[in-house]
Amino acid sequence: MSNRSFALLRPAPSVLPGWGFTMGLTLTWLSLIILIPLAGVFVRSAGLGWDAFWTLAADPRTIAALKLSFGTALIAAGVNVVFGFLAAWVLVRYDFPGKRLFDAAIDLPFALPTAVAGLAFTALYAPNGWIGSLLVPLGIKVAYTPLGIVVALIFIGLPFVVRSVQPVLADFDKELEEASATLGASRLQTVARVILPTLLPSLLTGFALAFARGVGEYGSIIFIAGNIPYVSEIAPLLIVIRLEEFNYAGATAIAAIMLVISFALLLLINLLQAWNHRRTGIQA
Amino acid sequence: MPRAGGTNATRADERHRPSPVRIDVEELGKSYGSFAALDNVSLTVKPGELLALLGPSGSGKTTLLRAIAGLTATEEGTIRFDGEDATVLSLRERRVGFVFQQYALFRHMTVFDNVAFGLRVRPREERPRAGEIARRVRRLLELVQLGGLEKRFPSQISGGQRQRVALARALAIEPRVLLLDEPFGALDAKVRKELRSWLRELHTETGLTTVFVTHDQEEALELADRVVIMRAGRVEQIGTPSEIYDEPATPFVCEFLGGVARFEVTAKEGEADVLGSLFPVEGDGDYHGPALAYVRAHEIEIVARERAEGVPAVIRAVRPFGPTVTVELSIEGRASRIEAEVPRELYSGGELGIGQGVFIRATSARIYAAN
Repeated sequence: MSNRSFALLRPAPSVLPGWGFTMGLTLTWLSLIILIPLAGVFVRSAGLGWDAFWTLAADPRTIAALKLSFGTALIAAGVNVVFGFLAAWVLVRYDFPGKRLFDAAIDLPFALPTAVAGLAFTALYAPNGWIGSLLVPLGIKVAYTPLGIVVALIFIGLPFVVRSVQPVLADFDKELEEASATLGASRLQTVARVILPTLLPSLLTGFALAFARGVGEYGSIIFIAGNIPYVSEIAPLLIVIRLEEFNYAGATAIAAIMLVISFALLLLINLLQAWNHRRTGIQA
Repeated sequence: MPRAGGTNATRADERHRPSPVRIDVEELGKSYGSFAALDNVSLTVKPGELLALLGPSGSGKTTLLRAIAGLTATEEGTIRFDGEDATVLSLRERRVGFVFQQYALFRHMTVFDNVAFGLRVRPREERPRAGEIARRVRRLLELVQLGGLEKRFPSQISGGQRQRVALARALAIEPRVLLLDEPFGALDAKVRKELRSWLRELHTETGLTTVFVTHDQEEALELADRVVIMRAGRVEQIGTPSEIYDEPATPFVCEFLGGVARFEVTAKEGEADVLGSLFPVEGDGDYHGPALAYVRAHEIEIVARERAEGVPAVIRAVRPFGPTVTVELSIEGRASRIEAEVPRELYSGGELGIGQGVFIRATSARIYAAN
């Protein structure tokens, strides 16, 4: 029985060796780095019992924090898809002085300690900051509101979209655009009907990465968000607060819910990719 | 008198068919840095003609095609469609059907959507209704023999089918001229042959002025009404396939058409000796000096040994397939071998043994003064 199920896992025999070794090493590595720590979260929260878990999960403060975290991450990833695409377009298609600098600057959010970014944004967007003071007369408040969280997450997520789209756009066959133009399409029609659909898989990848990063972001947000419970308190912060209260069960319960929702959303995006690939043969 | 509906429709279509367009290319120039891709190119494509642009890579043939399409901007000269300056027109206004070498099909669209693309992107007031678009796309797919493949994606059809989708897509915009870049370049030999005669029929059917680029001389000579031979951004010769084949204007054309042996000879009083016979120098009856002589494989005769005419040669290889037998020969004082095509009887008669000594002579030769 166990022999048979093992045989099902094995791919068709290949003349090139290496399946056993690479697969084994990958599984061990994945277990050590990802699966065992994450399983710990579930084991910990399972110790609570279902009723206690449910009470913790249904706590309005928890729900507000989760909504805020996922909502802002989705909005920021969406904004990043638009502007990340534009930035990638400019980087790939045009030559201009300082292009290399611009290109390198895209990666800064990767390298910068996010707390530094958070402090900088707070200083800029606070009601007495450079940009914040301009927005106050318009009745727009950025710092210490969910909007501030979105701004920080846009900063954090931008490189993911740019770096996913850039290589695909660079490889884009120029003849497709020329074909579109000879068939009478305007530039806008060419972008919307020919270029964007081809970039869809890489845009989705960028979206998923930016979104996942946004959900887990902590360092920059706690500075700009103001952390008002029910308003601008994100789930990761709530976990930290629970930990500081020595409420480990409460912390793991929130973590478990976040894990499940994140996994479901990422799976959904992957299924979308697979569907798109099956339909058109365009690989991510 | 009642008439069959089908006939009626065909008549109506023929009535609506606009008369084919004449293309005039006048002193066209285009350079990339110091490299002249097109150097003062002038030619006329007659209305309804199927014209081939033939040349080696880098000869400017694709640049010329792209310039006619408006895909490549040129620095000098004009291109006229029926006398109207096309260089000032946008791509949309030019209405050129262009088929790319790699087809450039939209991978995320079905065959149907690819063909419908040109109709769907028209401005609202010119755009046909959805039903009319569907009808036209179906008719085009029938024309290119792809009925039933509407819902497939480009990745799900063969190379030859993709090519025909690209053609249908180009024809959907009711182009004034049809331009094809290496239309058979990416296909295997058998499909090439089939598509060639099919394209010829399609041309007769649509009546469009058509220009195609190829580096395959056989393809150009077999398919086109007239052939333009290009070299280094210039037109080397324009003519019908028989003119090009029978009267190649320059040594380059001679060599490019292939299947020739080249001899460096010395001419005296407008004549030169090639394989033991005298032939006239083209165009100059009194020419003295170095010259280039070209002899086609079927113009070399293997002479019976007893007659001892021409020059002695040794048989190095025999390729006994096809309508004639190809014999590789070497002669003294010449490094490269000479190919001769001889009748099959000679081979089956057992007179062609490898290593055997024979005499060969030329029955005809083209000689050009070497400048």
